[in-house]
This record gives sequence, C-alpha cells and structure tokens, in this order.
Amino acid sequence: MAAADQLSKARAPAVSAVTLVRVGLIVGVLAIWELLARSGWLYRDVVPSLIAIAKALVALLSSGDYYFNLGVTAGEVAAALAIGGGCGVVVGIVLGANRFLARAFEIYLYYLGPTPKIIFFPVMIMWFGVGSGSKVALGALSCFFPVALSVAAGMRQIDRVLIRVGKSFRADARQMVTKIYLPAMRHPILNGVRLGLGIALIGTLLAETKLSNKGVGFLIINAYSTFDMPRMYANLIVLFVIAIGANALVGRMVGLHTIRR
Amino acid sequence: MTAATPARRFLAGDLAPAATGLGCVVLFFIVLETLIRTGVISEYIVPPPSEVVASFGRVVMEEHIIRRFFLTIGECLTTGVMITVFGVVGGVLLYHYRILRLAVETWVAALAAAPVVLAYPLFMVIFGRNAWTIIMIGFVAALSPVILKTVEGLAGTRKVLIDVGRSFNLSASQQFFKIMLPAALPTIFTGIRLGLIFALINIVGVEFLINYGGLGQLINDLAERYDLPGTYAAICFVILVSVVFFMTLERIERWLRPTN
Amino acid sequence: MDNPILVADKLGVRFETAEGPVTAVDDVSFSVRQGEFLSIIGPSGCGKSTVFNVIGGLLSQHDGTVRVAGELIDGPHRSIGMVFQEESTFPWRNVTDNVAFPLELTGMPKQNRAERARHFIKMVGLDGFEKRFPGELSGGMRQRVSLARTLASEPKILLMDEPFAALDEQTRLLLGDKVLQIQQQLKQTTLLITHNITEAVQMSDRILVMTYRPGRVKRIVNIDLPRPRTSDIVGSEAFGRYVAQIWADLREEASRGMRDEEDHMLHEAAP
Repeated sequence: MAAADQLSKARAPAVSAVTLVRVGLIVGVLAIWELLARSGWLYRDVVPSLIAIAKALVALLSSGDYYFNLGVTAGEVAAALAIGGGCGVVVGIVLGANRFLARAFEIYLYYLGPTPKIIFFPVMIMWFGVGSGSKVALGALSCFFPVALSVAAGMRQIDRVLIRVGKSFRADARQMVTKIYLPAMRHPILNGVRLGLGIALIGTLLAETKLSNKGVGFLIINAYSTFDMPRMYANLIVLFVIAIGANALVGRMVGLHTIRR
Repeated sequence: MTAATPARRFLAGDLAPAATGLGCVVLFFIVLETLIRTGVISEYIVPPPSEVVASFGRVVMEEHIIRRFFLTIGECLTTGVMITVFGVVGGVLLYHYRILRLAVETWVAALAAAPVVLAYPLFMVIFGRNAWTIIMIGFVAALSPVILKTVEGLAGTRKVLIDVGRSFNLSASQQFFKIMLPAALPTIFTGIRLGLIFALINIVGVEFLINYGGLGQLINDLAERYDLPGTYAAICFVILVSVVFFMTLERIERWLRPTN
Repeated sequence: MDNPILVADKLGVRFETAEGPVTAVDDVSFSVRQGEFLSIIGPSGCGKSTVFNVIGGLLSQHDGTVRVAGELIDGPHRSIGMVFQEESTFPWRNVTDNVAFPLELTGMPKQNRAERARHFIKMVGLDGFEKRFPGELSGGMRQRVSLARTLASEPKILLMDEPFAALDEQTRLLLGDKVLQIQQQLKQTTLLITHNITEAVQMSDRILVMTYRPGRVKRIVNIDLPRPRTSDIVGSEAFGRYVAQIWADLREEASRGMRDEEDHMLHEAAP
C-alpha cells in the first residue's frame, strides 16, 4: 500500500485517480456479486446476497462461540510457530554461521521445503492424536522449512565486516554475541518469523478443516457440511482479514513493505 | 539463493560436506530401523523404513500410481497453462495501464500472501468435489506471482534496448513483441516457476483434503485403510515427485538465463 | 560548406530538475559533409549525450532544427543509424539475428537476411561467431555486434555515443582501428560523441569541442592528418600537437565542471 500511495500522491491532488479506480473496482465487483445473487442464475446460495453475508458476519462476530474457536486456533498457531519457527530459527542460525554444515544439510531443506506438508497429517494424527496436538505438529512442520531457510540466508548476509570490527576491538565472546551478533541477527530472524507466521497459519488451519471439532478451520468445514453459505463466507472473510492483517502488521513491525520495488 | 543450491558444478571440495549430509541421513534411517525393530518405537506408529521401502512396489502396482501421477500432473499442467495465459495477459495489462497497476498491484501481492487454499470448501460448493475445484484453487493460489513477475520483467526492460527500438522507428506493437516481451521472458518464467510450485503444493494438498484426484488422494486413501507402510511409501513418493518437479523447473529457468 | 548531409542549427535543450530549469545545450550549430568523420568532444556534463539524443530523434523537446539531406527530422530518421554507449545487443538473439534485425524490419526474406547479415558480421571482424549469443561474447565483441546491426540498416549517417567507453584502452584502440577501416571503406558519414581525445583525434576529420554546461560550441578543429589512418598514428608528433591543443581547451572546461560539482555538493551538504 505504502509505495503505491506515495507514487500517486506525488502526482495527483485531492482524491487521487488511484483511489477512484480502487473504489470503482470494489463497487463494481460488489455490484456484480449482488446481481448474481439475486438472479438465481447459480445454484441457490452459492453466491448469497451481500445482506445475508453481512448478517452472518454480525452474527459471527457477536457470538462468544466464535471467539472461543478463534482462541483455540490462535493458540495452536502460536504453538506451531513457537515450535516450528523456534527450531527453524535455531537451525537457520547454525546453518547460516557454519559453511560446512550448510553445504552438508541445507540442500535437503531447500528441496524438501516446497512440498505439500498437509499430506503428513495422517502421520501426525498417529503420533499426536486427534486433538490439538496433531494440528500444532502439522503447523510446526509446515513453517519449519521456510523459517530455517530464510534465517540461514539472512544470517549469511550479515556483513562480515561487522564481525571483524568487533574482533578488532577485542570484544569478548559475550560482547560479540550481545553487541554484534544479536542486533545483526534481529532482522533476518524477524523476517523469517514473519514468513513462518503465514505458513503456520495455513498448515494449522488446513489440519483443522480435515479433522477437528474446534477451531476456525472446523467452523469453516462445518458451515460447508451444513451448507450454511452465508456463514461460510463470513468465516472466510474474517479469516482472510486476520491473515492479511497479521502479515501486514508483523511486516510493518519488521520494517518491510509488501511490495519490493 | 542459499549456499546449498546446486547452481554450480560439483567440485572436489563439495565431497566432504555432501558425504556428511548424506551419511547423516542414512545413519538416521539405520538408527530409526534399529529403534523400531527393538521395540523402542512402536511399529504400529512408525513402520520400519525397510518395510516402507518394501511396500513401494506394492503401492506402485496396486494403487495405479502411474495413473494417479498423471492425473495430478495433468491438473498441474492445466493450472500452469491457465496461470500463464491469464497471468501474462494480466501482467501486460497492468504494465500498460499505469493507473490500473498503481491501484491493483498491492492487491495482487496480497493475494500471493493470502491463504487461498483455506477457502477450498467454498470452491467445492461452487465446482463440486472434482478436478475443477482442485484446478481452480491451484489457479487462484498461483496466479499472483505470474502477474507480478510479468509486470516486473516488462518494467525492468533496459532503457537502451527500448532506445534501440525507437532508433529503428518500431511501431508500438513491434516494440512490444520484438523487444519488451523477449527481454522480459526470463523474469516471466521465474514467475511461472513460482506459480507452478504454489500450484503443485496446493493441488496435492487439496486432493488430500477433499479425497479426490491423484497422488494426494492416494495418501488419504491409504491412511484411512490404516495401511501404515503404504501411507509412508505414498508420502515418500509424493515428496519425490515434488522434488523432481522443482528441480526440473529450476533447470529450465537456468537454461533461459544463460548469462547469469 | 555546400550540400552538407547533416545540418544542426541553433540546438538548445532545457531540462526541469529539482533545483529548477537547467540548460543542457545552448545554441549549438554545425554541419557535417558527406563522408566526413566528425567527433564531438567535451567534459562530463557538457551535454554531448543530449546532442546525440536530439540528432538521433529520441529527444523531441528542443530548440533549433536538425536537417538530414535537407529534410527536417521529427523523430528517429531512417537515414541515421545509432550506436549506443551501453550494452544494446538483444541477449535473446544470436549474432546473426541481432545484425539482421533492421533487415527483418524491412521484410527481407529469411534466406537473404542471413547472407546480408554475414557481410556486416565479417566487416566488424566477427566471422565465425554468427551462431553465438551475446552472453558468450566479450564486451568489445558485443559492441561490434551493435555496430554491425546499425551498419546493416545502411544509414547515411552513423551516430555513435561513446561506444567504447566501457572498454579497456587496448580494446578501444583496436576497435577504433576497425571503425576507421569500415568508415574509410564505406565512406560512411560518421558523428562520434566522445570524451576521449586520443580517440577523437585518431579518427576524425574535424573535432567539435563543447564547453561545460550549458554546452556550447567552443571550437571546431580541423584534423589535417593523412588518410588512411591506423592506430600507429597515435605516436606521431602532429598527433601529439592536436591532442595538446584540444586538451588545453578541454582542461579549462573540465576544471570549470569540477568546481561546479564541488560547489553543488557543498550546497547540498550544508543544512
């Protein structure tokens, strides 16, 4: 958002053309949606009226039940990120710092990373049961790889010069860690965690949709099985807003933008 | 790129770390096998690696793995064609109409970060529990990088090449097809590669989740039948396919960018 | 000069910058005879690349006029062939397809194109490399490909903007030889923009020296060295005198340029 807005502010005054286009697009899509909904052209309720969705949203956000499930999911995602992300950070630091280990093992991470982890879910169920454990395990497995790779790459980019500066001032081991390594590592680690958050979210939620009786994923699949479409849309909307919002928020915290120019 | 990407040739100095890595992996499996055989780890939770390997043959024969493989790959390629067509056209449109690009580019990037696959129940409602749901989820999840990289490639055309075109008085369409598009092709392919990877991951995942399709469904099937070694074998097979797919795409991309 | 092939009359270019309008080029006029080799030389910031862009038709916002064989130019003129300073070969085409590019545009059939292209590839000394891609060639070879491509369009006037700037001295001298050879063979009217005095004196019939910004014509020097020339001429006494003379002019402009830059930086650094 930031970069594009700055670009448009540099050019047009008052209400920028960009904003107009965006509003226009959104209004257009909503209008087509409502038309489809009312036309009865598609199978009933596949495209519910916007009003029905709005009602479902209100119902959702005002029910304590939703927040309970949200809490369950949030807890699972947090645990998944802590375990998978935590291991990822440690492994990433080790691989980033040690060239030999990196050349020995990183290739496995690199090629195993872009594979679908949800297929491990039956194994997770066997190992951790049908409760939250298996969801957390899957989330952790999902986010371990990208975090490890991202942190390792980030570590390698730390300017070697900074380390030599520290040594030239004869900093002892503790000082090296606290004054040079940790501050320098902060950015790659936070960046890796930001990446891991999104992936842990997806992994955990997918697991919930497959086999669960709690959590946001469960609510979605439940709405599907009862064919309560407005409720499903409402759930999905809230989920996407949270997911994109959380990503943007953490990104802001780390000082990154969603578009790299 | 990480230190471990095999972009360079295998040198003698690579032997030690590669051997260490491979050695550790082999050691891990040996230890695992021993622990299971001696009962430290229950064989009803983790089947011995040897049994998993043994069941490979059975899984291949009985579960029509070739047919399933082609089904999954077919879904992937369909998605691939769709994201290429719509992604490149979309990218060209965004590049051409500046106002559209300024308005929409952030949204497209957000789409890449959005957990599209989580909406699979919605897709099932719309398309049914069949291959189209799978393909469409793959499409929506994979479209974004193609659009973004197409825009990036076109926008990043070196000014001097555009000037060469102008100095030869090329028409706008000649300029586009003879200079900008060829110049952008390597970057566009990077986008397609990223898209295809997203696509494969999502496609196999959804096949598993909705219990329809090729390889993903196989795993679901075997798991529900409590065929432990078979399930592990199928998972290994899918991982293998995924790795080979990824490597092939990398190779093609490297071929397109010889000067890098 | 009667019947000059190129006439630049009172060229002027102004740019809007963050610090206000800047005059890059002011009241530059000159003519070029058919078959002549004219170099335009000047310090950095004298606007010579701007002149290149104006004559090449890539910059239409300017004062004054440019006529090619009497015709007023309005955009890139078909009789002017441009060779740019930066890497400009098409990396996705091999040498032959690069050189044949202008032939492709005129609709020449494929068979004839390859043959015709080979003629120019040989001319720049790259025979044997027809099927190679630019990525496999050195910087100097790539510039030769660019040159061959421009020559293939058989322009009346060859317009080059510091084509050898990115190359090392030896390669530059040898390529300079090549260009000279070609120019003498084809009797090609050539306009070379450069900051390299040796290069300019080696190759030119006349040299136009520009002042520092705003770029004006400081002096036009006739180079009365015998033709045909090769890089051997670099050692001769007459050569040395011309170089010294032009250096004297340039030094004055170059130091004005440096002082101006320093002032500028101090200005910016001050709160």
